[in-house]
Amino acid sequence: MAKKSAAHAPLTPAVLHILLALSTGERHGYAIMKQVQVDSQGKATMGPGTLYGSMGRMMEAGLIRESDKRVDPEMDDERRIYYELTGAGRAALDTELQRYRNVVAVAKGRLAHGH
Amino acid sequence: MATNGAGRRYRTWYAMLLRLYPRPFRERFGEEMAQTFHDLCREQEDAKRGLHGLALWIFFETSVGIVRENTIHMSQLGNTILRVALGALVALMVPLVASRVVKGWNWNAGSFVFVYVLFFATGMVYALIARKMNVWSYKAGVGVALVAGFALGWSNMVHVADSENPANLVYYSVLALGAVGAWLARLEARGLARTLFAMAATLALIAVMLPSGAPPYLARNMAIGHGVFVALLTASGLLFRHASLAGLK
Repeated sequence: MAKKSAAHAPLTPAVLHILLALSTGERHGYAIMKQVQVDSQGKATMGPGTLYGSMGRMMEAGLIRESDKRVDPEMDDERRIYYELTGAGRAALDTELQRYRNVVAVAKGRLAHGH
Repeated sequence: MATNGAGRRYRTWYAMLLRLYPRPFRERFGEEMAQTFHDLCREQEDAKRGLHGLALWIFFETSVGIVRENTIHMSQLGNTILRVALGALVALMVPLVASRVVKGWNWNAGSFVFVYVLFFATGMVYALIARKMNVWSYKAGVGVALVAGFALGWSNMVHVADSENPANLVYYSVLALGAVGAWLARLEARGLARTLFAMAATLALIAVMLPSGAPPYLARNMAIGHGVFVALLTASGLLFRHASLAGLK
């Protein structure tokens, strides 16, 4: 079960990017890194140390889980562990994105009144 | 080709670097991290780009991760030791209170220290083994096995002291069998299941073969006691078997 704090506290950039990368389907570690690069338009680069450290804590918090171990047809013939979002992970992502939307809405309103 | 040679060298060094992670983390993610590093190197090689910059960055980034994970691991270990120490202290209250209430229970300070060390050691063994596994049946199996082993060792120690019958020392062979079996099984669920079943069978055999010389009313209680221990050891074996069937080695 997800820890309550993990579902409601603001997420670190690494955790947010990993949740985003997994939001469209399950991926293995290398594919998550590549997706993070694409999602951030090359601005966020995540190394294995940050990726697997964050994923370990996310699994403990129940945000993601292992889904399968299989070969990626687009890569070599090595079997890779795939990860997927849990219900708590999707809820944490939704909460975080709503938080961002609120901040943007406040910022827009403030800037509009300021000019 | 020079790049391939450099790639192999960097992969070897990276595998060595990964050994600096705390063991649980390394066992969980080490292989995947090495595979991911391999993928990154291959991507770089396919794009005909040099590996040195990438390797330098990954090695630095991973080193930061190693420091972070070791710090977290040490802090978690410290918390575990503190929790077990407090738990052992709470458990020690039972004989401490009993020694005040029960007539003839005259332990000296050394006995209480010895019992505290036993409680603490048992708790730490459970915490260190169980934290490695996420399967509930494995954790429960470890818990039941430790409770049964602790109670068996304890009751035998008291019985030998009371009866002064050295033949009762044969019961320690059950515990020795458990220790050797756990070591040979390298704490894997399937091996532990076999070990616990072997311990239960050995204890049942001892109960049948060893003449107790006790009067009938005591012999009945002893038979019940043996039955409880055999049941506990069998239950622990079944839990490990469940963990093994659930996919845990």
